[in-house]
Amino acid sequence: MKKHVAKLVAGLTVAAFAALSLPTTSGAAASLRIWADADRKASVEKVAGAWGKKNGVTVTVVQKDFGKIRDDLKTVDVATAPDVIVGAHDWVGELAANGSVIPLTVSKSASAKIPSYALDAFSYANAKGNKVLYGAPVALENVGLVVNTKVAKVPTSFADMVSQATAFQKKAAGNFGLVIPGGDAYHNYPLFSGLCGYVFGKDAKGNLNPDDVGVGNPKLLANAGDVDSWNKSGLLSSKVDYGIAKNAFLAGKAAFWVTGPWEKDTLDKSGLKVKIVQMPKNKCDSVPFLGVQGFMVTKFAKTHGVESQARDLVGSYMLSEGAQTQLSSENGRAPANTDAAAKIDDRLLKEFAAAGKGGVPMPNIPEMSSVWGDLGTAWTNVFKGADATPAKTAFRTAGKNIKAKIG
Amino acid sequence: MTTPFRYRPSWLAWLLSLFSGTGGLIVKIVLLSLLNAMVGWAIIVLFAQDRLVWALGTLVVLAIFDFVYLRPNKLLPAKFILPGSVLLIAYLIVPIFFTINTAFQKYSTGHVLSKEEAITTNLEQNVVQGEKFFLMTPSRDESGALVLVLVDDTTGQTYLGRASGLEEIDPASVEVDEFGDVIPPAGLTALVGDELFGADAELAAFEVPLTGGGVIKTEGISGAYDSAPGLEYDSARDVLIATDTGVEYADNGRGSFVSADGDELVVGWREYIGFENFTAVITNPLVRAPFLRAFVWTIVFAASTVLISFAIGLFLAKLLDKPKFRFKRLYRSLLIVPYAVPGFLSLLVFKGLLNDDYGLINKLLPFDVPWLFDPWWARASVILVSVWLTTPYFLLVCMGALQAIPGELVEAARVDGAGRWQVFRKVTLPLLLVVVTPLIIASFAYNFNNFNNVFLLTGGGPTSSDQSVAGATDILISYTYKLAFEAGKGQDYGLASAISIYIFFIVAAMSASGFLRSKALENMK
Amino acid sequence: MSDPTQRRGDDWWRHLILWVAIALAVFPPLYVITAAFNADQTLSGTSLLPRSFTLENFKGLFVQKEGGAEVFFVRWFRASVIIAVLNAFFTVFIGALSAYAFSRFRFRGRRMGMLFLLLIQMFPGLLNLVAIYLIVLRTGEVVPALGLNKLTALLLVYLSGAMSINLWLMKGFFDSIPSELDESARVDGATPAQIFWGVILPLAVPVLSVVGMFAFVGTLNEFMTASVLLETVDNFTLPLGLQAYISTNFEENWGSFAAGVLIAQIPAIIGFIFVQKYIIAGLTQGSVKG
Repeated sequence: MKKHVAKLVAGLTVAAFAALSLPTTSGAAASLRIWADADRKASVEKVAGAWGKKNGVTVTVVQKDFGKIRDDLKTVDVATAPDVIVGAHDWVGELAANGSVIPLTVSKSASAKIPSYALDAFSYANAKGNKVLYGAPVALENVGLVVNTKVAKVPTSFADMVSQATAFQKKAAGNFGLVIPGGDAYHNYPLFSGLCGYVFGKDAKGNLNPDDVGVGNPKLLANAGDVDSWNKSGLLSSKVDYGIAKNAFLAGKAAFWVTGPWEKDTLDKSGLKVKIVQMPKNKCDSVPFLGVQGFMVTKFAKTHGVESQARDLVGSYMLSEGAQTQLSSENGRAPANTDAAAKIDDRLLKEFAAAGKGGVPMPNIPEMSSVWGDLGTAWTNVFKGADATPAKTAFRTAGKNIKAKIG
Repeated sequence: MTTPFRYRPSWLAWLLSLFSGTGGLIVKIVLLSLLNAMVGWAIIVLFAQDRLVWALGTLVVLAIFDFVYLRPNKLLPAKFILPGSVLLIAYLIVPIFFTINTAFQKYSTGHVLSKEEAITTNLEQNVVQGEKFFLMTPSRDESGALVLVLVDDTTGQTYLGRASGLEEIDPASVEVDEFGDVIPPAGLTALVGDELFGADAELAAFEVPLTGGGVIKTEGISGAYDSAPGLEYDSARDVLIATDTGVEYADNGRGSFVSADGDELVVGWREYIGFENFTAVITNPLVRAPFLRAFVWTIVFAASTVLISFAIGLFLAKLLDKPKFRFKRLYRSLLIVPYAVPGFLSLLVFKGLLNDDYGLINKLLPFDVPWLFDPWWARASVILVSVWLTTPYFLLVCMGALQAIPGELVEAARVDGAGRWQVFRKVTLPLLLVVVTPLIIASFAYNFNNFNNVFLLTGGGPTSSDQSVAGATDILISYTYKLAFEAGKGQDYGLASAISIYIFFIVAAMSASGFLRSKALENMK
Repeated sequence: MSDPTQRRGDDWWRHLILWVAIALAVFPPLYVITAAFNADQTLSGTSLLPRSFTLENFKGLFVQKEGGAEVFFVRWFRASVIIAVLNAFFTVFIGALSAYAFSRFRFRGRRMGMLFLLLIQMFPGLLNLVAIYLIVLRTGEVVPALGLNKLTALLLVYLSGAMSINLWLMKGFFDSIPSELDESARVDGATPAQIFWGVILPLAVPVLSVVGMFAFVGTLNEFMTASVLLETVDNFTLPLGLQAYISTNFEENWGSFAAGVLIAQIPAIIGFIFVQKYIIAGLTQGSVKG
């Protein structure tokens, strides 16, 4: 029995000590938590920090994996949840459907400075079909056609681009005319739109309509023959992945490369003479997908009692020219604010931005998740070389499958 | 019968033997007291957080612990098994129950919230914004009531917004400073600093009623806009009603508000839907069609990987199994290298090496093989890479097992005139299998669910044009992933959970029959 | 101690086959080695034999590039090694305790219990991870040290898998230790606990080493669970950190990534060397009854 008593006493003593030091609820301090990814943490800290200092709010920026920012919102614990997140516009549909982010209203003067497609990218239709804004667009990115001006000229037409590419390819073994990562629906979108393909149509109110799937639309199918000829001539191959494409271009073995502003530094350092343009019009304009990054206010801001502050930071401050200029200079992306955009002086960045003219923001509705897989597969299959699937079949099937998945 | 081991008095063994006797008793008392103190503390915290069920549950577990460990010489097996079991239950069994629970729910994009949250969110998202936007400064009047000082963004008209209504005031009494902030007229003090933070909730919820319906709401700390509700909630009848058209959206019992026309509101909630997720596998053609194909391929993949790895591992072990074989140690260390590299990294490397036109392997071979692009070659690639990753494990296992087979048995068989191969088949192999079979079965089960090996190498592809969800190398678990996260509206945890449960039953049934039929559990009657 | 009647003359073809096997086993890691020392930074730019030689990639792991993401390589390395050692130690401990019970005691449900333990580990991990995430989340609200983003929570989750096939291996070995030893100890007045610590464990060092090594290497390389439970970059384990390294900017950091992988293998290799002595007799000794 003795040992039991001893143990009990020991235990109770320690428990008593512990009970006396129960965690007290932390005092309410005006603080705001932001989730940002590794690329943006530093710039967000600076810019949001400046706002915080002006308003007397402590801003904490937590670094998280980019994809996890969206996923973890569903399951995060209220005490550690963010009030504001930095994310991609194509998350909006899912986040809105899950009630994770709250609607914002911006002043007319602020919204006048943001291109309407960027605002649309961050909007999602409500029950009445009216567009509701959920985020403040801050940066734009899109792929462009990078031309190695030493070996090729800026193409005047699509046919010109193809002939220049083919000629360069024939010049030496191991040369590529045009390199695009194979099987990648995002990078191949300019080709897709150039053939009059689209992903989702719009309804009467201008909202994306998941019932109107454009992947197998008649115009695209009629033009699909072009793809087969590119495959036959070896112009494009799905065996070329991102790394191979990049290496080939940087080694001077490719005339044209389709990539985005994240490669700006690499291009600067490469010593190559390049010019970036939008891919020339084929049967329709060869516009790229637009990616818009921005800030959103989460539903947790309300629970934390900082909703009005968060709305001010996101809906008002982050849309201003000063904030956006600073963010874009640190991140190498074109700012959404038109005044700030006019002030960029980095040549490559300007050219990438210009290459995005008329571009289509990636659809932000949840149904988009059914698209990437099949569209990517179609691209893989059409550029397989000898045993490639005819493009018409590939795209028609992809369209059918996507429709079936969306249900 | 010789005992096949020798007692090795190493420092580790000496250390362990210290724990016997009185030393052990002291350690036991100290550990048990610490455990009680820490868990006791946790229970107190749980009570303080109002989580009575958890608190009681933890208390029960603690009581079991104390009960088991304080009774000398009784409940011996329990004493030894309890620590591992508690962890097993906490982090393996409880999650399984969670998953089972999820399988019975509609838990997917748009069905994540609770019902109340869904209603609030729907109301919020359907607020109709008017034409006006105001610059705003929140302030308090002498009575302490919240008053909004408003300046119309476009017209410049100035107002005071109170809980009672809107009042137009003389523009001259209001200034806008160089920062764009509105300075309230005399008699009102602007809210700043700590007061502003404290008033956050009040400010966000504040509404200025307008004649003719509608309200002015705040947007942040410096803006406001006019609005009207687009949806209203009738709690008595549990319907959402559109204010302009009068269309009613009723609860459809499956986590959504739906109108009579079939218009479904996007924001729904998690709701139990019985066996729907389970029957989807049988009824939904999108799900059903590739299921069988993926199922067959999964078995082929797992079985081939394990059996080939075992065969190669055994072969190499046999080669090395020679007394005084030169470089034995060196060979062993080198052959283990695939095991030392983190699996997913090896997979990424192989993905690059197997690239048709630019990968190293095709460059070294005299002919080009479409490793990852042709369905059949892709299947072969996946198996080959898995074998590469698994063989070292079986090599280790077989090396140990071969060593343990007594040499005298083999000698005796040879003396009786058996040939080398016969000795292997009739003597060595059976003894080996007694030991290794459970490991083979366990490895089979592991590879059955080996999402990584397949997904990182081929992404489940290549997909032929006519197949929708499952690619040529998709195993059941990667197929589940695609179904749940890359179809419909994405992120369908309910469906994924249901299919996971199916997968579990399949693999457990196969493994259980394997274990029971092998003699491995024989000596455990 | 296998077939002592083998002739010495057939050695050369053994060596040949083994070298072929070694070549196959080693060339992908060799590729990684080349990439680590290669100045070219992309996956497809490297070949088997180095085209250039540089130590820049290694430097990139320890020194932050200007404007680049913070580097935490040393922290990741340390975190991985610590958690691997702890997991190995406790897995062996818990496994040995349970294996002893299954080996020495006769109790109801022994056979089915063993089967149950083996089967329950086969539940597809993909979705269990979501549930584990939620459990750790809720636990963290009560005991912060066991919550998300904490290595202690990760360790506990790893330990929940301690009673698995490793248990079976250990039990098999324990079975081979003659119960006469137990008997004589009991006659001398030893309690079961004392028999466990003083008699069985010291004799079982071979199998304990092997199981410990499997657990050690397995933990070093584990990716999925760690990626779910660890949230901030500075808290990552090594596989997580390295993966994050290449996922931020497509393939810009392949060279440094390869360098990191190389360094990451060092603990595992050291572990192997350390345990080599015990591998031979350790695994299945005694499960083969003559």
